[in-house]
Amino acid sequence: MRKTKVSAVIATFIVCYAFWLLLTWSVKPQELIAGAVVSLAAALFSARFFIHEKAFWLANPAKFFTGLCYWLFIFPGELIKANVNMAKLVLGGCKNVRPGIVKIPSELQSDYGRAALANSITLTPGTITMEIAEEDGQAQYYVHWIEAESDGAEAGEAIKGRMEKWIRRFWQ
Amino acid sequence: MSMLLKIVSDVLIAVGAFFALVGVIGILRMPDTFCRMQASTCVSTLGVVGVTLGGLIHALFVAETPMAGAAVKIVVIGLLILVTSPVGAHAIAKGAYKAGIRPDKPMETDDLGRDSE
Repeated sequence: MRKTKVSAVIATFIVCYAFWLLLTWSVKPQELIAGAVVSLAAALFSARFFIHEKAFWLANPAKFFTGLCYWLFIFPGELIKANVNMAKLVLGGCKNVRPGIVKIPSELQSDYGRAALANSITLTPGTITMEIAEEDGQAQYYVHWIEAESDGAEAGEAIKGRMEKWIRRFWQ
Repeated sequence: MSMLLKIVSDVLIAVGAFFALVGVIGILRMPDTFCRMQASTCVSTLGVVGVTLGGLIHALFVAETPMAGAAVKIVVIGLLILVTSPVGAHAIAKGAYKAGIRPDKPMETDDLGRDSE
């Protein structure tokens, strides 16, 4: 079993407590104290499942703002493009559907980065990540793609677009 | 100003509803399981984002008394759906594939099938 690190507990506690404050939305002392106790207990039990690498990775302002920029601007842009494509496809009667599962390589090394890319791919309509395999230290994504036109690196360019470059800036 | 914000919030909700409708039409029209899952992603991305953003603007600026509590809950709901839905989609797609579900018309390429043999 993995050991629970203090930094991991603190980071999980902050996230839990922030959620508690947002959901209760009051500053009565008894609410604050109860929230702190519950968050601390939850953090002690669950921190080792959530945080495997450096806990305060995003405390670096440059990385934090790159991440914020990605999630607020770059990713929604890709999302809207893909949604419009999907709307055209569906309203056009689904005639151009050519489904296929393609294998695309990725340069990302950290677990967080890989998970972020997999979730970004899944959230864009038209592509779903089905499996991640590791070959020679490189992550290989198996992606179900609704317009499978190409293969290998070319398909990777079409699916990942700008997303991978941006994720690499804050999560290797 | 509040009129303008009301129009923005209504337009956002309408856009969200439109994409949710597109997603549902897609679920009915698509030929096989995996393609249906692709269409359903429309509902959980722009559908949810549009409706929650519209609701957020409404709660903060359009409603007669600004509702901070409701606004925060809307943001939390939107974030939770955006964070959890791809995880469910991975699991369902992988599970369906492992259970042996394949489209009637063979796929263009099937790298996962080729590599797992």
